[in-house]
Parts: sequence; structure tokens; C-alpha cells
Amino acid sequence: MVFDFTETETQRLVVKSVKDWCERNLTFERVREMDDKGHPFPKEIVEGLCGLRVVMGTVPAEHGGSGIDWLTQGMIAEVIGYYDPTIATAAGLMAVETGWGFTLDRYCNETVREKYIKPAIRGEKFVGIATTEPGGGSDVAAFKSTAKKDGNEWIINGEKTFISGTEECKKWGGGYWINVRTGPIQPGAPHRNMTSFFLPIDAEGVEVQEPYRDAGRMAISTGGFKMKDVRLPDEYKLGEEGKGFYYTMEGFDNARMMIAASCVGIIQRIIDEAVPYITERKTFGRPLAKYEAIQFELAELYREMEALKLMTRKTTWMQDIRYKEEGMPQKISKAKTFKPTDVAGWISMIKWKGPSLALEAARKAMIWFGAAGYTKEYILESAWRGVMSYVVGAEGGLNIQKIVVARELLGRDYVPYK
Amino acid sequence: MPRIIVCLKQAVDVNHIKVDPTTRRLITADAPKKISDFDKNALEEAVRIKEKLQGEVVALTVSAEDAKTTLREALAMGADKAYLVTDPSFQDSDALITSHILAQAVKKIGSFDLILCGEATIDSYSAQVGPRLAERLGIPVITYVRKLSLEGNHVIAERSLEDRFEVAKARMPALITVIKEINEPRIPSLPDILKASKKEFVTWSLDELGVSKEKVGITGSSVQILEVLAPKGERKQIKIEGENPHEIAENLAKALIQKGFARR
Repeated sequence: MVFDFTETETQRLVVKSVKDWCERNLTFERVREMDDKGHPFPKEIVEGLCGLRVVMGTVPAEHGGSGIDWLTQGMIAEVIGYYDPTIATAAGLMAVETGWGFTLDRYCNETVREKYIKPAIRGEKFVGIATTEPGGGSDVAAFKSTAKKDGNEWIINGEKTFISGTEECKKWGGGYWINVRTGPIQPGAPHRNMTSFFLPIDAEGVEVQEPYRDAGRMAISTGGFKMKDVRLPDEYKLGEEGKGFYYTMEGFDNARMMIAASCVGIIQRIIDEAVPYITERKTFGRPLAKYEAIQFELAELYREMEALKLMTRKTTWMQDIRYKEEGMPQKISKAKTFKPTDVAGWISMIKWKGPSLALEAARKAMIWFGAAGYTKEYILESAWRGVMSYVVGAEGGLNIQKIVVARELLGRDYVPYK
Repeated sequence: MPRIIVCLKQAVDVNHIKVDPTTRRLITADAPKKISDFDKNALEEAVRIKEKLQGEVVALTVSAEDAKTTLREALAMGADKAYLVTDPSFQDSDALITSHILAQAVKKIGSFDLILCGEATIDSYSAQVGPRLAERLGIPVITYVRKLSLEGNHVIAERSLEDRFEVAKARMPALITVIKEINEPRIPSLPDILKASKKEFVTWSLDELGVSKEKVGITGSSVQILEVLAPKGERKQIKIEGENPHEIAENLAKALIQKGFARR
């Protein structure tokens, strides 16, 4: 196993292209405006980044994607996080569309791919994830939505909530990956009998709810929808019946990597904003940077950011090896180097570390800046509000990640949900 | 179908240059390298012409350092082929020498209809290499171009001069230097970048161009840069005062006239 941290020429050029694009289009003023104005997410930002073909870049080229690896996709997410530290762009286009879109592409059939995934790669439609229900998100036993077979169709009933991008999906067209029960809850194994479907947002019987008034990442909506006797053709089923839980965990894995990578960018941005401020701003005749209380925190933050970056790049590299060995789901073979649970453990570590560290970085920098840090003159407060969404729950809350890591260390006998 | 050669310099990204506050010397070691801004406009214009009229765009760089990634970006932007002439002895070559090496490379590349260059490079800003290259090749040159079109065997170019625009026409082959206003360079997409890695990339040494090492770099150059220093940032700290905005404006105007920055 060779470790080489040199970026390839392609990676350097892709990162440069995304940076150049963000320099023109995701300026501080633009991001501030997006955060102040709120959703829906600006379509021209989606179209621009999709024009560079960096959204869902890991989807194979023969399916309309660019066929890059997760390591490179992670580097792209770092840049997106850097330029939009409110995390709205990374949330919508990297975690949801790229992480979930890629996984959706693996399990959908040609109809869904042609009608929804390919247009989403081009920036025309929105594809997202809707797992959480009023009863819970990570607690799959609490899921109540159901699907019943009726001839060649499925009749779906239930409700999904805290869903990213409902307003955007409604406006641009598209749909969601949903999980529903297609059989009774099995005692001790609530994850069984769960089946995944692709639900077009405009399907008859889908009622989109009013969006929530979020604390942060204002540029992208969070809402929910009810499904009442929604009839979906069998071809909208993802993969095999009853295996939805496993596919969903894979989708979470990919989305979580994108969030961790974007947090690397957010923290780097906070450091880049803070260094000139603390070296120029003087109190009691000395620059803030001279005070150990501040420079030690900065040094610590930098060390932690580099650790997160290394961990994230290692994790995406592991996922690349896993996918390379497994191949496409149709001809799946057992991964040799890393088991999916090995990778999931690393993914949980970075999803735990990334948003928590970004939140801490924003909080610390706001305190260094004093009253100025609490204003909208700087990006810090919007990063602070935005990344909090990934600490509290989006793509699996902080404590869920700890459970996954502990499960890898102690074994399944010690999981709290058994 | 025109064949266009675009000369690109790998320049220091001036936005990342730091200044040593004591010596005022520039610290360029950590500054990233990129395609010089106006050269990028030249490349964009060449690619636009190719998209309209077909043909071929050839990117050419002369550099003392490794400029592979820079040229690969040019290929991603739409150049069909890249030529890199590289040798450490090029370091500190002046415009005279650079144009000589470029001329030798152009001759080796073969026939062409147009050569496009930026009006100047963002780091040394001599604005001489383009015209000198045209002189060495014995072809017409039109500088500071903001609009360009091809008609038959001619190139028609609108020049942006200090106080007017001028339209000039030249028979091809010709050399054009372009200004920033001519276009907004495209940002290559991921598939463009992936495709670029498969395009033809030729590297030439000095020997292959028949240029001797003694005739390049500091030894071959007639101009030597002795020192590059950041300007002194001393402020005059003159306060313009007055009883009301009108009086303040009046006093400001007087001060500007007195210092020669404005005329009555």
C-alpha cells in the first residue's frame, strides 16, 4: 500500500477551475446576499457549478457524470466550503446532490437516470434525500411510511420531514430518494423490510409542506412532505426490495464525506479571515496575534484542520478503493482491502470531527474579532450558524457518529439501540 | 481554417506576492504560478476563432521552470496542442532573448496564420515580446487589440489607444497582442481537464531549437534587472479641512491642482 500525498495534475487543475469559478461567482458579497435573502438556492450557482461538471462528478461518465474519484470530489468540496462557509452550497450540491445522487445512480434504473439524474447533473433538476420522519431520523425503527404492491405499482403513504431542498425541488423539478416499509417491523431487526424508491416531487399525492425557518445555511430550504396514496411504478424502486437500509447507509457514507471535506474548506477560510485581522488589530498597543490566548488557539485550530484534512483524504481514498474492488452493484464482488464497515467507521470520525471543528473555529474566531465578529461584516457568524446544522443532525447527528465509531471498536453487542 | 499559435507566459500570480517591509524586496517564492492574465485572453480569443471557423490552436510557452500544469490548463481551455521550450538557463532572459527563443520555436512549429499574445505579462510588463517576435518573423503586428475578426486572408483588429479606437487591417500571417477587454476567458470544466491529459504535449530543449546556452539568460540579455523594489508607501498625510462640504471640496480641488494632479 503506497501512500502518496502529491496531488495529481488533474486534481490541481480541477481545484483551480473550481477556485477560479468561485472567485468570480461565490464572492463574499454574493454569499452574504444568499444568506440574507434565503432560499430558494440561486439557480445560476447550480448551473455554473454543474457547467463545470463537478456536481455528482463521481457518477460514471457512461451515466452522464465525469467519473472522477471521491478523493478528487472531496477536494472540490473543500473549495466549495471555503468560498461558501455558510455551508449552503456544499449542503445542496456536494452532500445532497453529489453524495446521494451518486448512490441513487448506482441503484436506480434507466428511467430514473434519464428523467432525473442526468438533468440534475446538468443543473436542470434537483435530486435529494428524504429519510427522516416525524418520529426520527437515525432511529430507523421509528419509520412509519409504507409502500404496498398493487400490480406493477406501489402505493406509498407516510411523511418525511427535515428534508433539504424541498422548495428548490418543487421549483426546478426533480425528486427524492425515500425509504419506506414494504413489510412488517421485525423485532430486533427494524432495518429489514425497508425498501428505497425514487419519488418525483410532482407525483400525485405528494403534498410539500411549508419550509422551516432555519437558524443557518439560509440559501437552501429545509422542509418536508406528506405522501398520500402516491402510486409509483415498480421501475422507481431502487435496487432490491427490502435492502433499502443498506443502500441508505451507503448514501449517508458518501454525503458525510462531502460534509467533512467542505468543513476543511470552511476552517481554512476562517483561518484566512482571522490571520490578517488578528495581526492588524491592536489592543493595549499590541496586535491581537501577540497574545498567547489567541495565537495558541490559532495554532491548535490549524493543527486540527490539517488532521481533519488528512483524515478526510484518507477516508475518500478508502472509499475509492472499496468501490473499485466492489464494482457496480449489478456485478458486485466482495471488497478485499476495506470492508464497508471499516470505511463507515472512518466516515463517522470525519463527520463527527468536521462540523464540530468548523463550529469551534467559527466560535473562536468570533471571540478573537470581538463585537466585529458578531456582525454580518464578516463571514464568521454565518459559518457558525450554518455548520451547526451538521452538528445537530443533518446527515446523522454528532452522537450517532460516536455510536458508529464505538461499534467498530467494541462490536455490535455494545450498540445502545439493541 | 486558421492555424493559430498562442504565446503564453507562466507568470507569478502577483496577487500573492509579499513585500519584505524592511528591504522592500518582493517575496515571490511562495506565490503560485499561472498563465499570465492577458495571455489567457489571447488563448480565449484563439479558441473562439477556432470554434467559429475551425482550424487549430497551438499553445507555446518558453520557461526556465516546469510549466507543464500551466500548459495543461491551456489545453483544457481548448488548445489542441502544446509546446514547451524549457531550460533553466532561460532565467532572467529579457524581451530580446525571449522573442528570439519564441521565434525559433515558431519556425520549428511550422506554418501558421496568426500569432496571438497578451499585450504584456502581468509580472514583467515590458509589452515588448509580441512586437519583437513579429519583427523577427517579418510579419505585421497589431497591438492593444480589443476586437478581432478574420476576413479571407486578412485580420481586422480594433485597437484601444489612450484617447481613441483605431481599426487596423493586416494580411495574414500576422501577430496580434490583445487587451483584457477583448473577452472573459473560460474556466475549463472537469471533462475539459480530463480530455486535456490526452492531448499532444511536446517539450523542446534549447539544443532542439538550435539556440546556444550562452545566448540566453543574463549572459545573452542586453537588459539586466538590477533590483525590483516595492514603491515606498509613505503618505503625505495632508488634511483637507473646511467649514462646510462646499469649502472642503474647494480646498481639495485647490490642493490637487497645486500638486499637479488636476488642471483648472
